Amino acid sequence: MSLLLRRRFFWEEIDLMSLLDILLLVAALLASGLFVLGRGSFAGWLATVVYGLMLAVLAIAGLALDSGVAFIPSAMSFEILGRNLGWRLDGLGWFFALLTVGAAFFASWYGSGEWGRKQKRMGLQHALLALNVLAMLLLLSSGDLLSLFIGWELVSWAAFAIMTQGGGPAVAAAYRYMIYALAGAMAVFAAIMLVQNVTGGLGFADLQTAISAMSTAQVWVLFILFAAGFGVKMALMPFHLWQAPAYSETPGASSAFLNAVSARMGLFALILVLVKLTGLEALGSLAIPFTFMSAKSALMWVAAITMVVPTFIALMQTDARMLLTWHGIGQGGYMLLGVLVGTSLGTAGGLMHVFNYATYQAALFLAVTAVIHRAGTSDLDELGGLITRMPWTYVTLLMGIIGLAGLPPMNGFVSKWMIYKSLLDGGQPLLLIMAFAATLGTILSVYKLIHNIFLGQLRREHQHLKEAPVSMVLPMLILAGIGFVTGFMPGLALNITDIAQRAIGGDMLPHHLGGVTLATGSLNMLWVVGVLIGAIGAGALIFYLLGNRRYEVHQFDNYAGGHFLSADIRYHFSHEFYPGLARVIGPWYRGSIVRAEQGIGILVNVAGDLWQAVFRVAYTPLYMLLVVVLGLVFTGSWGIVP
Amino acid sequence: MMSYVADFIFMPLIAFVTGLGLVLMARRVRAKIERRVGPPVLQPIYDIVKLYAKKTQISHGIMHDLSIMMLLGGFITAEIFLPVPGFDGLAGEGDLITLIYIMMVPMLGLALGVGSCANPNGSIGISRALTAMLAYDIPFIIAVTGACMAYGTTNLIEIVQIQQAGGPASWGAATMPLLAFGGLLAVHGMMGKEPFEIYIAPAEIATGPMVEMSGKYMGALFIMQCFQLYTIGVIYTTLFLGGGENWPFFLAKVFAVVFISVAVTNVYGRFKTDTMIRWMWKWPTGIALAGLALVMAN
Amino acid sequence: MSDKLPVIEDQPEICRSVDAGERSVWTRVMNRFADHCRARSLFVLHYCTGCGAIELPPTITSRFDMERVGVSPMVTPRQADILLITGYLSIKTLKRVILSYEQMQSPKYVIGFGSCTINGGMYWNSYATVKRLDQYIPADLFIAGCMPRPEAVQQVLLKLMEDIDAGKANGWQDYYNNYDRYLGNQQALFGESWHTPTDVIAEAKHYGYLADGTMGRHTDLLLKRADYALDRVPEDYPERGKNERRLP
Ligand code: SF4
Repeated sequence: MSLLLRRRFFWEEIDLMSLLDILLLVAALLASGLFVLGRGSFAGWLATVVYGLMLAVLAIAGLALDSGVAFIPSAMSFEILGRNLGWRLDGLGWFFALLTVGAAFFASWYGSGEWGRKQKRMGLQHALLALNVLAMLLLLSSGDLLSLFIGWELVSWAAFAIMTQGGGPAVAAAYRYMIYALAGAMAVFAAIMLVQNVTGGLGFADLQTAISAMSTAQVWVLFILFAAGFGVKMALMPFHLWQAPAYSETPGASSAFLNAVSARMGLFALILVLVKLTGLEALGSLAIPFTFMSAKSALMWVAAITMVVPTFIALMQTDARMLLTWHGIGQGGYMLLGVLVGTSLGTAGGLMHVFNYATYQAALFLAVTAVIHRAGTSDLDELGGLITRMPWTYVTLLMGIIGLAGLPPMNGFVSKWMIYKSLLDGGQPLLLIMAFAATLGTILSVYKLIHNIFLGQLRREHQHLKEAPVSMVLPMLILAGIGFVTGFMPGLALNITDIAQRAIGGDMLPHHLGGVTLATGSLNMLWVVGVLIGAIGAGALIFYLLGNRRYEVHQFDNYAGGHFLSADIRYHFSHEFYPGLARVIGPWYRGSIVRAEQGIGILVNVAGDLWQAVFRVAYTPLYMLLVVVLGLVFTGSWGIVP
Repeated sequence: MMSYVADFIFMPLIAFVTGLGLVLMARRVRAKIERRVGPPVLQPIYDIVKLYAKKTQISHGIMHDLSIMMLLGGFITAEIFLPVPGFDGLAGEGDLITLIYIMMVPMLGLALGVGSCANPNGSIGISRALTAMLAYDIPFIIAVTGACMAYGTTNLIEIVQIQQAGGPASWGAATMPLLAFGGLLAVHGMMGKEPFEIYIAPAEIATGPMVEMSGKYMGALFIMQCFQLYTIGVIYTTLFLGGGENWPFFLAKVFAVVFISVAVTNVYGRFKTDTMIRWMWKWPTGIALAGLALVMAN
Repeated sequence: MSDKLPVIEDQPEICRSVDAGERSVWTRVMNRFADHCRARSLFVLHYCTGCGAIELPPTITSRFDMERVGVSPMVTPRQADILLITGYLSIKTLKRVILSYEQMQSPKYVIGFGSCTINGGMYWNSYATVKRLDQYIPADLFIAGCMPRPEAVQQVLLKLMEDIDAGKANGWQDYYNNYDRYLGNQQALFGESWHTPTDVIAEAKHYGYLADGTMGRHTDLLLKRADYALDRVPEDYPERGKNERRLP
């Protein structure tokens, strides 16, 4: 990007202040516009085009940030009770904003065609998606703790609103989410109040002064409040139970969006508050009494457990969407772990994993939605053999799972490799082993996913299925394609994460188009993928040149111990796909996880019933307003009367 | 450039030929233990040629064919990333971690191909094979991690150099015996020999993953077996036995690693999948963790 | 019922049909090489429903050691070269034998083991057993005796290897070339609705083994049955590619 420094480009002529404003304005206009126009069949396409424009604006902002601008301020700022509320987009926020708008772009494209027409209230879904984007942009561009909190609340409520769209179980799951989110928000709010109490200010700088001014006990309280509050959103381990049902019950396209980026808002806030503002050294020096551990290593272990346990829970799921959302929780652990290692490699790896995860998780979810669209179910015990019917969906899902499992040649491998390598170089062998173990579990689980849906026996009722329409296949194939390209040339993704990494501070990771070159072992994906593809080509030559022509038989021409197979017999081996493993981890899974979930489910149901008595879904915006206003008044009065 | 071309052609070829030797050795050793004569020297070649020369080649769809290509392609790639005497190939462009994950590509390919055969026995076999992979890879990964910590690098060329500079006393097997032993047990599981061959279980699920493989599909699996034995042997040699100074020594070590496994395998019955997981997660994992603790303490 | 059943016809001389590329030197050399390897690598599928199965363990294990000559047991027809029928076949098991035989990949060889496979043996007057194996699938060699010893099994394997090496063991081509006759005999036993999942005719077409005897009045029945089957279970034979069994 040194090229940029030599010449002046047009975005340096236009007022940089306006870029963020344009973005927010467009997002707000889109959201409100869709609420009005959402019923129209063109609404989805309009939204897609607007997201495309927003991506272009973000790209210009990215070039500006890359050329050394620290942040892009917004003209919008207002003073409330002596507090200055401001918004500005720095590199970190920009990175997450890019993913947000990108995910919204593909989700809305997907929802604009045939899939959307079959939805009950697609207009509302489009509008809520735009509302989510707006809320997330506000959060990502927050300039102080107060605007951060407001953004945080907005994101929670917007997500809640979109989650309820599924109806039925979705509403219950969304309530459960809301309980968690409110608890998390209270924790964050308390932490912010703590900072306010000590320093009397709510700027990001005040947080830094507060930490140096506070006693160790106070810092601990602050740390726990922030980690727990933000950890709820990214489903860190003890606070993770809401996420899988809430995300998987959301209607397909919106669910892909939520899965790809929504939980990452928690990661953004954690990185912002704990890594960027507090600093990892401060966390590392926050020792836990009577142990060898510090706050940082404790959080790393939490991240590692978040990586392993949900992965193996995902393995036990029988629903494709639940399986994927549980993996989403697990993948969050990798990102946090990478960022917490704190080396340039680890941070870049963690951030790149955010990017990679967004690409393949969105692709996976869209593919599963396509299966639901055609076959009517995502129950892994009721599908099978769809590869002959929906080959392009299969290709997407295959590329997606290779990314999710972290195998070459997809991008998931590169970021995971960087995380492994940073753990190894950082002297954390146990965490590394946990990361490896989680990856192994992921391989098992994703194979089950693709096997039960696409391989094996084709059921009689699925004989006449057709491939999903182009409006659905194209966006998911493009997403999978991005996953492949950034796996082949990880330098492209690393250029983007560079901008975020520069905003976090610390060393930058030197990289090239193919990967990174380190003294202790390098990775050049250009070679790896190039040779892999070449070798598969050689395999194809061997296959086609040697031996007689192939002859394709139908699925019942199959050896089953001399048994005559026919469509009357269901023999697809899908239910309890890993019986041996289930016998080992099954009791543990049922004993602790399922019980805990039931217990919390009951608790939340009780709370949810109380909650429902207070207000109905229809009053959501009103309630949101109330909370915001109360929050402002509360902060304000606290500031005036210390 | 020419050196790369030579690497790309010769490294897989050497691997294949050595692998044929390893397969022959495995079969001969088994025969000797059973007091039989065993197959003739060219038997592995006869088998492969015969399978490729089958006149009908049935396929269960494009994915079935693709899986065969992925299988061969993945292993050919793995061979190119392995440092052997005289050839470093691309070992500098990807490291040990890359290699381990490249080796999973053919496994995934095989699994997908078997799945697309729509044979319940095949699916059961793959389910067991993947579970077995989870079982043996955990101790293996611990051994690899420990070794990487001890050598301070994941670069395969450097790992070999470090061991060769210090002579046999600096070999991984001498400096970290516990890790080497845990790794060896894991490697035994990786080769799919008794008692860890439940995913093949011929009499029960009709060779599991291979049930629908015939003709050149089966031939490709035979080739894969050659590659697999060789790759496992070379990785273990590289990590714990000082890699290769020259070909005779190097091959002797590779054959020794495989020999240990095939020599003990015959006295065992077969573990159930869950027994295998428990055993793998208890003994090799425990031994490797102890080795890791020793490495970390130093 | 019996007068409607197709007539069991006599078996003509098995002879090798000449491939089109047989005259090119390259093809001849390659075929020779392939035959050489085929003869030295034989995977056997033991169809062990008869008493004779008990003779096979000694054949395989250290006393006689089949692997010495490249013969090893295999458990699925897909991988096997030899179908070794060890003794009597009931009508029910014959169905499975035919299914397995058709799922084997050509070139494939059948060895009938024991008198039971030759003429019914001591079950010659049983209502439930098959008398002559080679009426239903082309048997390359038989081992006489009740029951033959492992030495005899070895002898016949060596004889088969000789034949393969000389390019003479071509019973499998006969099954393609005279499928109609074999099918007729099978239908005589199992009834007109008899069918296997393997589409032998399409396979013969695909690989150019179609001959005058491949299709006939018995295979017409097969097509009618396919029609019937498709009617009853429309999805009985889902299309998994273009080599699908097509209705006329
Ligand atoms: S030939 Fe004799 S030994 Fe063999 S199956 Fe018949 S009765 Fe039994």
